[in-house]
Formats: sequence, structure tokens, C-alpha cells
Amino acid sequence: MDIQLTNDEIGRYSRHLTLPQVGMAGQKKMKAARVLLIGAGGLGSPLGLYLGAAGIGHLGIMDHDTVDVSNLHRQVAHGTKDAGRPKVESIKDTITNINPLIEVTTYQERLTRDNALRIFQDYDVIVDGSDNFATRYLTNDAAFFAQKPLVYGSIFMFEGQITVFHPHGGGPCYRCLYSSPPPAALVPS
Amino acid sequence: MATETVKLIMGIGKTLTGRLLLFDALRMSFKDVKLKRNTDCELCGDKPSIKELIDYVAFCDVQMPKVKEPELNLAEVEISPQEFRGILDSGKKLTVLDVREPFEWDIAHIPPARLTPLSQFDNFIAELNPEEDIYLYCYKGKRSITALKKLKAKGFTKLKSVAGGIDRYAQEVDPDMPRY
Ligand SMILES: [Zn+2]
Repeated sequence: MDIQLTNDEIGRYSRHLTLPQVGMAGQKKMKAARVLLIGAGGLGSPLGLYLGAAGIGHLGIMDHDTVDVSNLHRQVAHGTKDAGRPKVESIKDTITNINPLIEVTTYQERLTRDNALRIFQDYDVIVDGSDNFATRYLTNDAAFFAQKPLVYGSIFMFEGQITVFHPHGGGPCYRCLYSSPPPAALVPS
Repeated sequence: MATETVKLIMGIGKTLTGRLLLFDALRMSFKDVKLKRNTDCELCGDKPSIKELIDYVAFCDVQMPKVKEPELNLAEVEISPQEFRGILDSGKKLTVLDVREPFEWDIAHIPPARLTPLSQFDNFIAELNPEEDIYLYCYKGKRSITALKKLKAKGFTKLKSVAGGIDRYAQEVDPDMPRY
């Protein structure tokens, strides 16, 4: 890998570089990595901030929505003055403020069957921070067809689930767990 | 999730591939469940039936049990928040039911409503007087229609639902009322 870290980057990530499990080799992999985050809401906000701060070289963030005041108590990437702004713009500003050394690409659109595979193929890892079943199944299926590992998480009230779906890497997919969505009437909004 | 992403990229440690981590923030407990690929999986199983991306909105919607409901003409049963306020102010004898849940009631409600959450609505029906005008409201006007249909099915006729619920009422009639 011919990716090099600049002196700025070495200074910024020095506490990573001194971890034997990470080191220069690990941090270079981080710089070379392209991660796509689906959703800039409750899960996507902290994910974007941590991944950006940690030095993922290229972060894609997709969310069609705008910031509402009722989002702010949990969607910590957005501030009070961001109300009404597209979430992808607001989170990009916050991440760039924390770490200007990475690249952030925003997609202010919904994930659809028409754009999913084209966008997924540009990334190494897909991270699902979506909040609805249609997007969750679409993300799962598109990650499978694009052969990308999918980091999955969901939260309902006080309970959460996390796993990695990667059938090509020896694990199950979301459909292995949930072959069909719950009846719409039971889906909490 | 961020840690898992970083581990996948750097190829270090043991990722959650094949394991589901469950946590419960109220009990503050974590559980780690083994997951196996389902050989019957329609996507990644041995004989997959899904070979390309499908229509996901339809896929998630089609699962909804299609229950035949009697047609309801919304224009006949809905009243605007302003009309509702006018009726309350007229002093007419009536019953107002708030079919939201107790935590919503605690944020704001419209006197003289009584709390009859939709989740337990069936238990309240016997206490209601079919001779009296009954006004229902909820948060946005959907649950009150569901409750109204339940009453209609029991033979109640003098029913109205506040269009747009307490949320629209707060915007259009009582700007001092908190919205959530
Ligand atoms: Zn599967």
C-alpha cells in the first residue's frame, strides 16, 4: 500500500499509532478506507463523528431528511442552529470541524433500488444507521449483491442490537434473521 | 458499530460477524447470541429466490394484513380544531376522549377530555353513553379515527374526530400549548 500519512495526520492519530494492534499500518488502512453511512440520525450521528474523528479517509453519508428540533436530543451531530438544514450538510460540517483531514461525500437522497448498487460499489464497508424496514432490507440485499460487509445496528426504546452481516465472509445476512418485515400496523413510528 | 467498522477495515480482533450483540439499557445488560447463515435464506441461502433488488416499499407494505374495514367518509366524521373549540365553548353536554397514551397526556391535553388510550380502548367502551355526543382526538388524527371506527362498530353514531389531532389544535387554536 503506497498510502502515506502526512505529519499532520501522524500528530493527530498518534494515540492510534502507539497501539500495537493499529500502528502505522492500521492507520494507513483507515486512511485508504471508504465507508458509507446510511442515515445521519440517531445512530448515524455518533457513528459519523467517531468514524470521521478516527480517520476513515473517505466517509460517504446518505440521508434525505432535514434537521428538526425534536431530533436534537439524540442526533448529536446536529446543533440547534441547524434546524431546517439537510442532515447531510449539518453532519458534514460537524465532522469537518472535528477532522478536516478526511474527505466527506454527501448524498442528500433516499437509498433506492436504482442508486444502491452504483453507490455501494464505491465503498469498502456499509454501515446501516437507517430507521425503517424498507431501507434495512434494501441495504442488506444491496450489500450482499455488492459483496460488502454490512455493519448493522438498531435501537428500539431502551434495547439495541448490533452485528455484522457478511455472507461472503462466513456470516448470515439480515434476511437469515428476519425473513419478512413485521406487519406495518405493528411498526412503531 | 464504529468499532466494528474500524476492526473490519484494519482486519484486527474478532468482529461480530456471526454474532448478534443485544443490549438492554434499562437493565444495563449485554447478551451475545450466535448467528448462523440460514441455508433457506431467500437471499444468501443455498437456493436463493431473490436474485436482484426488489421493490422494498411494496415488500414491507404487502406484509400488512389486509383487513376489510367498513368504509368511512372522513369528511362526515372529522371536524377542524376551530370547530372543536367552538363546540367546547358552547357549553353543550358532550364527552371528549383523548385516545393517546398516558405519557402523551402528561405533556398536554385538552380539558374536559378524559384519557382512554387506544391500547386499552376496548375496556372503556362499556362506560360510554351512546346517547351523548362523543368527540375524539389523538396526536395527529389517525388513532382517533381508529377508535371512532371501534365505537361505530358497536353502534355508536354521534361521533366526531378532531382532524390533525392535538398537534394541529396546538398550532391553530392554542399556540401556548407545548408540541412534541
Ligand atoms: Zn441470508
